[in-house]
Amino acid sequence: MDMGETEERLHRFLKEKVIEFKVPRERRIFVRIKKESFREVVEYLVNTLAFRHLSTITGVDLGKEIELLYHLAHNGAIELSLGLSIPKDNTCISTITDLIPGAVLYEREVHDLFGVKFEGHPDLSPLLLPEGWPQGVYPLRKEHSLDELRELMSKKWG
Amino acid sequence: MGYASTIKVPFGPQHPAFKEPEYFLFEVEGDLVVNVTPRIGYAHKGIEKAFEQRNYNENIYLAERICGICSHAHATCYTQAIEEMLGIQIPPRARYIRTIIAELERLHSHSLWVGIAAHEVGYDTLFMYTWRDREVVMELLEALTGGRVTHAMNTIGGVRRDISADIIPKVKSGLDYFEKRTKEYLGILKTEPTFLKRTEGVGILKPEDAVGLCAVGPTLRASGIKNDVRADDPYAAYDEVPFNVVTLDGCDVLSRTLARGEEMLESIGIIRNALDHMPTGELRVRVPKVVPPAEVFSRVEAPRGELIHYAKSNGTAKPERYKVRSPTLANIPALCKTLLGVHLADIPIILAGIDPCFACMDRMVFVDTKANKKWDLTMDQLKQGVNK
Repeated sequence: MDMGETEERLHRFLKEKVIEFKVPRERRIFVRIKKESFREVVEYLVNTLAFRHLSTITGVDLGKEIELLYHLAHNGAIELSLGLSIPKDNTCISTITDLIPGAVLYEREVHDLFGVKFEGHPDLSPLLLPEGWPQGVYPLRKEHSLDELRELMSKKWG
Repeated sequence: MGYASTIKVPFGPQHPAFKEPEYFLFEVEGDLVVNVTPRIGYAHKGIEKAFEQRNYNENIYLAERICGICSHAHATCYTQAIEEMLGIQIPPRARYIRTIIAELERLHSHSLWVGIAAHEVGYDTLFMYTWRDREVVMELLEALTGGRVTHAMNTIGGVRRDISADIIPKVKSGLDYFEKRTKEYLGILKTEPTFLKRTEGVGILKPEDAVGLCAVGPTLRASGIKNDVRADDPYAAYDEVPFNVVTLDGCDVLSRTLARGEEMLESIGIIRNALDHMPTGELRVRVPKVVPPAEVFSRVEAPRGELIHYAKSNGTAKPERYKVRSPTLANIPALCKTLLGVHLADIPIILAGIDPCFACMDRMVFVDTKANKKWDLTMDQLKQGVNK
């Protein structure tokens, strides 16, 4: 499946589910979709279009929302970044570990650093942050400045 | 098996089998592993947050210091990301120079790993030999770039130093020597009974698991999956320099060893070819200081596999978001799978089998050695290092 065919099939499938669709260059696609369609779109990408490799998941703080970007690869070559936004006051999203087992640590990382709860994930215990890290402090969110995080760490661990 | 209880065996954060701090909790019955739980983050220093505090030029240095082994891979991934956001093309000669340094880096990384693998199975003679010969590559890197570990060749818009015609014979004779030695070691690794006994059929990663668990690099290719960013999604000069993607179908530690060995021979070929066909011309183009609002997904094939950087700019001098995913993190789920059912004594070599780089994975920030040369730094001193 080449770029042209991938784009065409995506357009045909996504229709009203899509918010933004851009192709910045060869082998790169950015798709932003509505949160409600997330599972449906991921299942289509993984099972039908064979985007089986998850390169990673990026969290981005948009202010009132957290954006999640799932970087999926087809055949090692075409990298599709699937984006969706979830509100900060309800940061729940379905896990994709049932579709791509390799997502297990990437979801935990985003959970640690952005406070996104992946429903159905087998174990969301801390992965990167130290034991005793205060609840509700998600260091990669913009509301926590570097100074604040430093103060927190020096208070706790000297 | 009929064992009355499962015993928990902690590995790390400080453990003789690790070169860096990380923690794995093994549950064993008899001496067979029945469960493994990884706990990473012991070298986590918040480097992604640090990217947001620095301007794009300062971040070249930060990116290069994410990892002490694949420093050039990170710097290449970073600079090509920013170049794409700026919409600029680097000069052809710069693309070739990036490729040459990247392959020299792969040579030193893989030969370092072969030594460690030999050491983990008690074959210290080979460890000594490979590390001695690795010095040839380290010296070439130093001669070409001025640095053994951080090469500072990359800058946004190209490279900072040329590879002049008078140094090329030295590089080639170093490669001739290294190739001869590598072939000899490959021959030893394929036939030495003690090495084969410790690695053949050990740490099996089936192709379907390698794909499902999103493994990358030699770990993936040793399970027969032909994915390599250099070939699939070419960057630098990889679309112009011929090479083979090495795959093996043993799915075990032996295959992971031989895959790296064969890859070294391919790297030598790439460097020779790139030296012979390097176009003349400029080394870098001047670039604007401000990056327009954009986002970019950048990837390179680091020695350990697919390396991912994602950048988002907001029109200011500093990035809005910078994300790094090193190949070691991608290989941890696959590693945990391969550890199930193995003998306790095989844990070190299987762990070493993915060529783990924990500092890279946890994204440790460097320490300013000029400010303080001691290793026992306090938290404050560490933070001062971060502040600079």
